[in-house]
Amino acid sequence: MRTYRFKYTKGEELKLLGYLDMMVAFQRAIKRAKLPIAFSNGFNPHQLLTFASPLSLGYTSEGEYGDLRLKEELAAEEVKERLGAQLPDGMELLRVTAIGDEAKNTMASLVAARYRVTLPKTIAAEGFGAVLERFWAQKEILADKKTKKGMVQTNIKPLIFSLQDATKENKAAMEMVLAMGSVQSLRADAVVASLCEFCGVPFGPYDASYHRIDLYQQGQAGFVPLDEEVPLP
Amino acid sequence: MKLAIPDQVLLQMEKPARYIGRETNMVKKDPKDVDIRFAFCFPDVYEVGMSCLAVQILYFFLNRREDTYCERAFAPWVDLEQYMVKEKIPCFTLETQSSLKDFDFVGFTLQYELCYTNLINMLEMSGISAWASERTEDDPIILCGGSCAYNPEPLAEFVDVFYLGEGEVLYDQMLDRYKEYKKMGKTKAEYLESLLDWDGLYIPKYYDVTYHEDGTIQSFTPNHPKARPILKKVIVKDMDQVFYPEKQLVPLMDVIHNRVTLELFRGCIRGCRFCQAGFVYRPVREKKVDTLLRQAKSLVDTSGHEEISLISLATSDFTCFSDLADGLLNEFSKDAVSLSLPSLRIDAFSLDLMQRIQEVRKSSLTFAAEAGTQRLRNVINKNLTEEMILNGCKLAFDGGWNKVKLYFMLGLPTETEEDLKGIGALADKIVDQYFEIPKEERPRPVTVTASASCFVPKPFTPFQWDAQETYESFGEKAKIAKHSVTRKQVRFTYHNTKMSSLEGVMARGDRKVAKLLYRAWELGCRYDSWSDLFLWDKWEQAFAETGLTIAFYANRVRPYDEILPWDHISVGVSRRFLMEEREKALRAECTPNCREHCSNCGAKSFGGGVCFENVSV
Ligand code: SF4
Repeated sequence: MRTYRFKYTKGEELKLLGYLDMMVAFQRAIKRAKLPIAFSNGFNPHQLLTFASPLSLGYTSEGEYGDLRLKEELAAEEVKERLGAQLPDGMELLRVTAIGDEAKNTMASLVAARYRVTLPKTIAAEGFGAVLERFWAQKEILADKKTKKGMVQTNIKPLIFSLQDATKENKAAMEMVLAMGSVQSLRADAVVASLCEFCGVPFGPYDASYHRIDLYQQGQAGFVPLDEEVPLP
Repeated sequence: MKLAIPDQVLLQMEKPARYIGRETNMVKKDPKDVDIRFAFCFPDVYEVGMSCLAVQILYFFLNRREDTYCERAFAPWVDLEQYMVKEKIPCFTLETQSSLKDFDFVGFTLQYELCYTNLINMLEMSGISAWASERTEDDPIILCGGSCAYNPEPLAEFVDVFYLGEGEVLYDQMLDRYKEYKKMGKTKAEYLESLLDWDGLYIPKYYDVTYHEDGTIQSFTPNHPKARPILKKVIVKDMDQVFYPEKQLVPLMDVIHNRVTLELFRGCIRGCRFCQAGFVYRPVREKKVDTLLRQAKSLVDTSGHEEISLISLATSDFTCFSDLADGLLNEFSKDAVSLSLPSLRIDAFSLDLMQRIQEVRKSSLTFAAEAGTQRLRNVINKNLTEEMILNGCKLAFDGGWNKVKLYFMLGLPTETEEDLKGIGALADKIVDQYFEIPKEERPRPVTVTASASCFVPKPFTPFQWDAQETYESFGEKAKIAKHSVTRKQVRFTYHNTKMSSLEGVMARGDRKVAKLLYRAWELGCRYDSWSDLFLWDKWEQAFAETGLTIAFYANRVRPYDEILPWDHISVGVSRRFLMEEREKALRAECTPNCREHCSNCGAKSFGGGVCFENVSV
């Protein structure tokens, strides 16, 4: 038995594919690749395959993670080649690492996510850097947040670990690292909604384009990607 | 590949993955590199169409030709359709997101009558006139195949060529000739004319129809010297030699059936008198077990699916069924691939098999009883007795099953109140059967569902001359059947009666029905097989405005000497045989199945299949 952590992308081609469908696509790719996947016990055995975090419909990503467990040990390179060849167009395996059994799974390790958001046209590219600075300089950044009690206005500033201007080709854009995990989480579109309100422009859920760059865990000296500083076999 | 619809729009639609293609095993070609572009259309929503075996087979069959790129198109769901109409975006294929108008051929597979308005909609959305007479050399050639093509007349004014029979037979020669004609600079009209060389292709414009004053057909005559007075369907003789795809398209989203399909045989030996498939697909032609095991392995390997479904009209009739089942279980049980076995006769053998297959235990058992009494089951030649049903249930209950589904039809010829009451009586008896097992051995409650559909007489069946009940009368019959149930464990449901009436009109319609279809489409009808989208008042309006009536098409008995709209087509089964079968039905006499005794229905003329099995013994 050996567990492998894999990092993969979800490109433009598949941004309209839902998270559940994406997981099924992975399961089928594993079968086609004929990897000796391990199954759970029980009446309805399922593949030992887990993912770090759902990616919203419409988002693209170059930093998604999951773990899979094989019944026999294969070289990580071989797993990458065989599985990579079977993934649908638009999903690419970037890296596969064999990890130790004591490693926490991706879902439990996750603490933050990095995004790049290209903002709605209503937010001008020119002078966006200054706007973003003023936005960040607020004492509190208020946003609607879903809680157990329903939607409430909360201060999301403590959940934003960094926020930078990433404007390119005359399109206002920003890059940010947000809290994400079992303890605390912030959605990228909540920040965009708050920014739109700050700028006095309407927020539409489909106006911005969202791209996830990476998922992080706590490393020895700050955040590191989920497949770094992991206990090896 | 850029999508035909912007992302922000698709994100707001229900299930945007319907429109993006990119499924596993999708064929990629550059349209510039091929001679022929073929749009294979299923006139319903993606998840229905992608579960259709004909789509899977013909997609790979056509794409195996290097000179042809076959792409798929489905009807956009109503949310996206509204946007597309407003923005004038044509109906598009998934592979290259091209408009249907850009293709050489636009071919529809017709699996049920209530999809006809979707066909009109898909053409008109693409800027292609639905009326064949209004189309020009710039428009694609519109083809139709599938079981509904056997009565093509309601769509005759819309379609250029109806393909009668199995796709594997003629498409190669049709496409070869198309390529040749295109190279020679010939017109589409010349191409269509050249198709008269072959049987199995019905080109409506080469036939003229005249009518009597009462609306019945006076004459149906070819207007071209080469047009055949009778067109005969074409079928595959040897199922082991014919092309079958080694892989199937694996949708990225959930569809109706998430599984690979293995086709065991075509045709059916039974000859249930209400069943069109049982006659139009004759004779039975089986594949060998070796062929099937090889195909199954390849399909599972290339799909990653966890379920393999054995498809046929009556799986238990497959001659080497137990060998096949053993072979499949041996091969796949270790890989957690399960078998699904629709259309299985419930008996000791099949129950034992189902117990060996994982997960099936949870599902319910299905009996297509079709009628409530033995007399009426004899009328329809349904070889299933009450004893067989109750025995099957007893075995199943002993084996731990507790859900039973029964299918019935309302309005079968000669039906009486007693037959309707028999529906409830049979369902009740099944409940009683359950309570015969000792109390401690039945931990879960039993449920019996009796679903009744409305009988629709179909062309090429012995009941093709018979009257269909009106929808009002279906409603009353359903009430009688419902009230005949006494046990609270039985749930009775029945099908939309008005939809069945409309289906009755389409099934036996003539050329005049085209204007009704078109008017209904203009009034907003499409997706007529979806009860929540079915616009009965618009259909009523369309009937009134076109002067056609349901009564004429569906509710009258046709005399034997009336010219039927499909009389110029032969499925191999003779009219004489159908008439004899009808007379026997009225006397409640059964006809043996093809393996017990050949009744010389006429299908022997195809030179293969079950008709020759006994000869070699
Ligand atoms: S000719 Fe005989 S064996 Fe062949 S399909 Fe007809 S009844 Fe069956």
